[in-house]
Order: sequence, then C-alpha cells, then structure tokens
Amino acid sequence: MVEAVPTGVRAAAVIFMLLVLAFVLGPLVVVAGVSFTAGDYVTFPPEGLSLRWYRAVLSADVYTHSAITSLRLAALVTLAATVIGTGVAVALHRRRIPGTGFLSALVLSPLVLPTIVFALGLLMLWSSVVGRTSFYSLWLGHTVIAVPYVIRTTLAVLATSDPFLEEAARTMGAGPWRTLFHVTLPQCLPGIAAGGFFAFNISFDEAILSLFLRSPDIMTLPIQIYTQLEFSPDPSIAAASALMIALTIFLIVAIDRLLGIQRVAA
Amino acid sequence: MTMAAVELNCVTKSFGDVQVIKGVSLAIRKGEFVSLLGPSGCGKTTLLRMIAGLEKVTTGSIIIGGTNSTRLPPERRDIAMVFQSYALLPHLTVRENVMFPLRMRRLGRKDEQQRRVDEVLEMVQLGHLANRRPRELSGGQQQRVAVARAVVSRPQVLLLDEPLSNLDARLRESMQEELIQLHRQTGLTTVFVTHDQEEALSLSDRVVLLNEGRIEQEGAPTDLYSAPATPFSASFMGSSNLLDVQIEAAKGAPCATLAPGSALPLEPGCAAAGPATITFRQEDVQLLPADAEEGILATVETRLFLGSRIRYVITAGAHRFRCLASPGHSFAAGQAIRVRIPPGRIRVIGRTLA
Ligand SMILES: Nc1ncnc2c1ncn2[C@@H]1O[C@H](COP(=O)(O)OP(=O)(O)OP(=O)(O)O)[C@@H](O)[C@H]1O
Ligand SMILES: [Mg+2]
Repeated sequence: MVEAVPTGVRAAAVIFMLLVLAFVLGPLVVVAGVSFTAGDYVTFPPEGLSLRWYRAVLSADVYTHSAITSLRLAALVTLAATVIGTGVAVALHRRRIPGTGFLSALVLSPLVLPTIVFALGLLMLWSSVVGRTSFYSLWLGHTVIAVPYVIRTTLAVLATSDPFLEEAARTMGAGPWRTLFHVTLPQCLPGIAAGGFFAFNISFDEAILSLFLRSPDIMTLPIQIYTQLEFSPDPSIAAASALMIALTIFLIVAIDRLLGIQRVAA
Repeated sequence: MTMAAVELNCVTKSFGDVQVIKGVSLAIRKGEFVSLLGPSGCGKTTLLRMIAGLEKVTTGSIIIGGTNSTRLPPERRDIAMVFQSYALLPHLTVRENVMFPLRMRRLGRKDEQQRRVDEVLEMVQLGHLANRRPRELSGGQQQRVAVARAVVSRPQVLLLDEPLSNLDARLRESMQEELIQLHRQTGLTTVFVTHDQEEALSLSDRVVLLNEGRIEQEGAPTDLYSAPATPFSASFMGSSNLLDVQIEAAKGAPCATLAPGSALPLEPGCAAAGPATITFRQEDVQLLPADAEEGILATVETRLFLGSRIRYVITAGAHRFRCLASPGHSFAAGQAIRVRIPPGRIRVIGRTLA
C-alpha cells in the first residue's frame, strides 16, 4: 500500500506529521524543561537543573489547597458524569424514547458550543434559581460539559457491540434489571472508563467555567496557575503544570493496565 | 392425545398497518425437530421471536409446555434461543457463558451447575476451550458455544434462527450432522429457522413452509420434496419445473399436452382433462438422442457443466424447463433431442384458470 503513494505526497505527509508532533509535544517539553530550572525566571532552555520549584510548589499552601480542591472536584465530576452519561447513552442507544435524534443533539451540544456561552448561561441560571455560586455550582457546570464525553465514548462502545446481546440475556432467564447489570453495563465498561478519564481531565484543567461559577473562596489549580502567571510569574507554574501532566500520564497508564487502551480507544 | 410442547393458535403479527404473520396455527410435538422454511421476508424470524417472547403477538395465542405464554416476557418462558450472530457475552469466558442461563434461572446448586456445564461442553467438544473468551474462538467454535448455552437449561423448546448461515459450506455440513446428533442425545423439542431447503429437508422431522406470513404446506421432508401441493411449494422445494399445459384423456391414460403432437404421458387417473400446471424435478428429466423411439421432441438451449452433473436448459415448443443429468451422455447446445419423464414423476398441481 505504501508503494502506491507518490513520493511527493509521502514527503508532505511526513513533514505534516513532524509539525503536528512539534506543536503537540513542543509545549510539553518546554514546560517540563522550565520546571527543572535552577534560576528565578521562566526561561527556556532552563538555567541549570534543580528540583527547587517542585519543592516550592509542594510546600506552598496556595498550590496544595487548590490542587486538593481540583482533585476533589474532578473526582465528583467524574462520578456524576459517568453515572448520568452511561444512563443517557444506554437510553439513547435503545432508541425506544421518541425524539431520540433531537435528544442526542441536545445532550451532545456542550461538545460544540463555546464554553464561555455555557459558563455565562449557567451562571445566570444558577444565580436566579439557586443564588450564590459555590462548590456545587462548579460541580454542576463541570458535569454538564463532561457528560457528553461519557455519552460519546459509551455510545461508541455500544454501537460496536452485538445488538442481540440483551435479547439473548432475556431468553436465558434474565429480567430487564439483571440484563442491565449482567450484560449491558459490562459491555459499556471500556466506554465508561474512557469517558470517565475525559471527564476527570476536563474538570481538572477547566478554567473558563471555574472562573464564572466559583465563589471567591474557592481556588482551583488552573485558576491558581493563571493567577500566579498574571501577578508574579515564576517557574513554579511550570512545575505545577508538569505535575498535572504527570497525573494525566499516570491515569492513562492505569486505565491501560486495567482495561487495555485498544478497548478504550475503540 | 399427548400434549404438544409448543402450540400456536391463529397467531398474527402486525408492524403498524402491515400484517406480516397472517394467522399461523401449529402444534409441535414433544421432541420433534421442526423447520420453518421460506424465502426471505416471509416471517420466519418474526414467528420464532414471538415464540421466544421477543416480539409481541398481535392476535392469537402461544402455549409452551402447557402454559399460556402469550403475554409472558421471554425470561419467564421455558425456552432457549440460538441467534444468527450467536450473541455470546464477550466479557465472559466460554464456561461462564454456558453457565449464564443456569445462574439466571437459578437451576440447581452451584456444583450441579458446574457439572452440567462440563457435561454440555464435552457434548459439543469444547471442554478444552472452556476458559477462552468468545473473541478468541473461530466462528464454528462460537457457534458450538451458542448451542451449548441453549441446551444447558434443558428448555421446553429450543429455538434456532439460521444458526449455520454464517459458516462456510464445509463447516455447515459438519455442524448439521452435529445438530442431528445433539437432537438425538438431548431429545429437545426444536424449532429451526432456515431459508435453505436442503438444510430443512436433511435436519427435520417436519418442515413447515411459510409464504408471506402463512403456512403454505407442512409435512415430512419426503412429502414436501416429492409431493409439493402448490406451485409455490414446487418451485421453492428445489428448482422444480413448472409448466402450464392442457391435460387430455384421449385413450384411457391421460397426458399433458405441451404443444400439438407433443404430449407427456401421465399416471392413470391423476387429473381430469382441462388446463393445469404440472411440475417435475429437474433430475427426473431423461434426455435421449433425437432418433429415439419415445419421448417428445425438444432442443438443448444451454449446457452448464457443474462438475458431478450437467445442467441443461431445454426448450420444447413454447416451453422451457431445466434438466440435471449425469455427465455420462452429453448433448451440445442447439442439438435436437428427445425428452422422457417417467409418468410417476410428474405431478399435476392445481388448475390454471383459462
Ligand atoms: N421490527 C419490524 N418493523 C417493521 N417490519 C418488520 C420488523 N421486523 C420484521 N418486519 C417485516 O416483517 C416481514 C418478515 O420479516 P422476518 O424478519 O420475519 O423475515 P424472515 O423470514 O426471517 O426473512 P429472512 O430470511 O430474510 O431473515 C418482513 O417484510 C420485514 O420487513
Ligand atoms: Mg430471518
């Protein structure tokens, strides 16, 4: 197959791929590089090597507190988004409810609408219905934008599964509920895991929604990094970012170990 | 009268305004192997799914093992089903798949269940693959797991929807033999859906031929094969030839006149004079040289070599029909020949309206 591709096209493809790699990996390399600097300023390449900014980040309350807030928020968002997203995906997949097409467009809309529109709308809605913003408004906002990812990944897994599995379970003596727990949900598991991973990451690094929906006493890690960058930029922001990257990589490896990345990527 | 294992009483099914099953009544004896045969879209799957409870019955009733099951959900019917796609649970091993119906139906203690599963896996020769997952099996092996999983709970009736259609020709043949064997061993009442007439004939005690949501004809395989009652049955039961002819009862024995001076003799007393349709199988047509003493004059239109047989398309006057001959004697396309059909092999089915 490769032989059939003209040399020019092949060269262009290689160059294009290198460019993509450069733009994807470049920022990560720079952040990681800066985070190990021994100097006082954000410079690349770093001046000398040290772990002093990691030490600074891990001992600074502003970072550890905001990190704990972000982790707690991301965990709760992951929980809510996977439960809601899985339920919606299973319902949409069965196509038993009228207006399935419209409903799927609606629940997937946060994927395509600008986050800022959502943030503003949710803020206004929350203020008029509930009142002051809080950790809960943050939880709600993050969940709303995370749910579509769970729906998408779960629907993708369901689409490739045998449509007769549930009926087969019924003919084997399993009622509707036991079919759900013994057949449908185990089917969805790779999709739920992938969706949960997306949900966690989206919540963990979401800044726009957080800015709109948090109350002044709540600080998430992305906002902390942004504030630090704006008011007193130093290499600690690079170290904090590098730690976020490390957490993401850890999650990917963990999911791969537990479920196999091919199944999740399906 | 012994009680039927499955009884369908005037069952109909409509999807919206379209009626796809138009009143089917059928009693299946305990231990009987019944095939539902018919062309694509005639309603075989729909009928089977209604027995399983996966499709609601519009009117009529379904009795399974003496229990009126018309309104029961599938899990409360004493049935098992093998799906065309096998529908094995991909997250479970072969053993867990076969165990599933026993677990769900809470049949027997854990160790009894284990023993039953081992027994059934041995029966389909899959004991050594018990710990594999379905995706690690070949199509034929998956098929066996599906069958094992269906028979393990010893259901009142075993339902199979074209279970062999995804297998290649050779595997299909050996699976047919295994199914017969399995049926003999388990004695399970079986309803087998297929659109392959050979498969239906070779497997079943009784063939039910469906046409557009109705039973066209039912009976033992040999009856259906040798005595199709309608033109549809005749043509569906394997490329039989159908000819519109004039029956004449000139000097005692009747004959079927294809054209003036060209008549096929029939068995005495098989039909009254007048227009009618006759049918005969293509392997019953005998081809003779043009100078033979008997037979009607005809011409070879095409000749198709099939390996063990040769298929000819023959024209006689305005009529065309097919013939399947052994390669012993050979005629070329365009050659004039004579055709003989043993009178006992020709069936007169229904009168054509003149
Ligand atoms: N869910 C449905 N909604 C509407 N029409 C349906 C539905 N299921 C089946 N039909 C129609 O009912 C008729 C019978 O379908 P069925 O699947 O029973 O045929 P079949 O004999 O099994 O055919 P095949 O050999 O192709 O599997 C067809 O005309 C089909 O279009
Ligand atoms: Mg079918």
